[in-house]
Amino acid sequence: MARHVSIPAFLVLWETLSRSGAIRAVFFPPFSQVMATLAELAVSGELWGHLSISLLRALSGFALAALAGLPLGFVLGGHSRSLFELLDLPMEILSQLNPFLLFHLVILVMGIGEAPKITMVAWTCLWPIAFGAMSGARGVNPELVRAGRAFGLSGVSILSRIRLPAAGRQIFQGLRLALGQSLFMLVAAEMMGASRGLGFLVLDSQETFQLRKMYAAVLAIAFLGLALDALFGLLSRLLVPLPPGQSANTAGD
Amino acid sequence: MKRIGGFFGDSFYRFGSIVLFVLAWQTLCSTGLAPGTFVASPAVIAETLAKWAVNGFLARHGLISLSRALYGFLLAVAVGVPLGFLLGGWFKAAGRILDPLLKFLGQFNPFALFSVFMLIFGLGETSKVAMIFWVSLWPILHNASLGVRTVDPLFVKLARSLGLSRPRILWRIVVPSSAPYLFSGLRQASGTAFFMLIPAEMLGAARGLGWLIINAQINYQIPQLYAGTAIIVAIGLAIDALFRFLEGQVVRWREKAAV
Repeated sequence: MARHVSIPAFLVLWETLSRSGAIRAVFFPPFSQVMATLAELAVSGELWGHLSISLLRALSGFALAALAGLPLGFVLGGHSRSLFELLDLPMEILSQLNPFLLFHLVILVMGIGEAPKITMVAWTCLWPIAFGAMSGARGVNPELVRAGRAFGLSGVSILSRIRLPAAGRQIFQGLRLALGQSLFMLVAAEMMGASRGLGFLVLDSQETFQLRKMYAAVLAIAFLGLALDALFGLLSRLLVPLPPGQSANTAGD
Repeated sequence: MKRIGGFFGDSFYRFGSIVLFVLAWQTLCSTGLAPGTFVASPAVIAETLAKWAVNGFLARHGLISLSRALYGFLLAVAVGVPLGFLLGGWFKAAGRILDPLLKFLGQFNPFALFSVFMLIFGLGETSKVAMIFWVSLWPILHNASLGVRTVDPLFVKLARSLGLSRPRILWRIVVPSSAPYLFSGLRQASGTAFFMLIPAEMLGAARGLGWLIINAQINYQIPQLYAGTAIIVAIGLAIDALFRFLEGQVVRWREKAAV
């Protein structure tokens, strides 16, 4: 029960400080007013328009990255030692390539529609996903694979019955990390060049000095992030049960 | 399971792929297959970098970016490590209560908050440093509190019954036992700090590597854009290699000690 005290306490503190004038209400409007603005935005449908487009961009970029990154990481980590040696370093270099560096070039090539934003999200997500799958696949106990072979399992069933479950936790860690980062980068991308989306809403309200609206958008992004993370945590608990003897706390590394 | 290697890994073979890639890139540019309006060749990039190195341009913008990243990171260490230790070790109940709030705050997007930081701190250095502090804080805090929770309570009890003072218990037992977690947090944070600094400098700065990039993009200076990109990637790799090395030292030391 005590676990759920801190967030409300923080919000009450915010509200009191702002209302009492201890912090300037012009810059830090009370929480209740921000929530009222958020509700107004939600009722007028404005919020949904921005939210849905951001969600669509984040999720399609994430899905693309997973489609490419999981097989890539798995092949490099599990099957081919020489391919791993060949591609490990270039991948590391590419993973340091911040998608914003070539943003304008991407726009030149792809136009100013949805494609560049989705590409940026996909690029950001690709690396944690691929590296997660790679280290998962490398950590699979080779004895298990050999045992599977000795029992005459086909390559496909070795993959689905042994390799994937054994690497599951790391795969999901990579996916979760990527999902978090996708939203970070997307908001920045939307602040730099977009006419819709939550990042645009933040920047636009800041530039027109509608601070309540700005805080409402900031909160909406935080809620969206929390909701996605919680949903994903639930999904990963359903799909990959923790090995016996490990609690959720120690599994975080 | 950690990935072995890192940038300065052992195999010659691994570096061969890079050499091949650069050669192929240069050939594509020289033959005109990759148009110079979109792609700068490695030779042009090297030339631009050499020019920048000589006229001090590189040092000026590189140092300002590095110092922003460093200040934000150090501030996050100074706040995150003690706080993580306190919440994970000494005040477990407080830690449990605050955990949801910290998770909630960690979800606040640094770019969205950048607007708030600019309101509070103005356009100067502080808002950038505050943003780097914000993104670095969470992995450091999380891993410090995780690390302190994995300290074997028997050691602490033993030390206490041997009459060690609190600061000595902290320094001799808690810090070394949680070091692997601490360093993993530091590595995550250092990577994110530099990675996030670039877009922050693109959004609001008049100096620094991020500004250099956005300036080259706006003015469509392809060689400068690619040279800046190369420098940023190189610094990112160097930071990653440094922290990987430190982490490796600590983990190896721990494995030895555990035997």
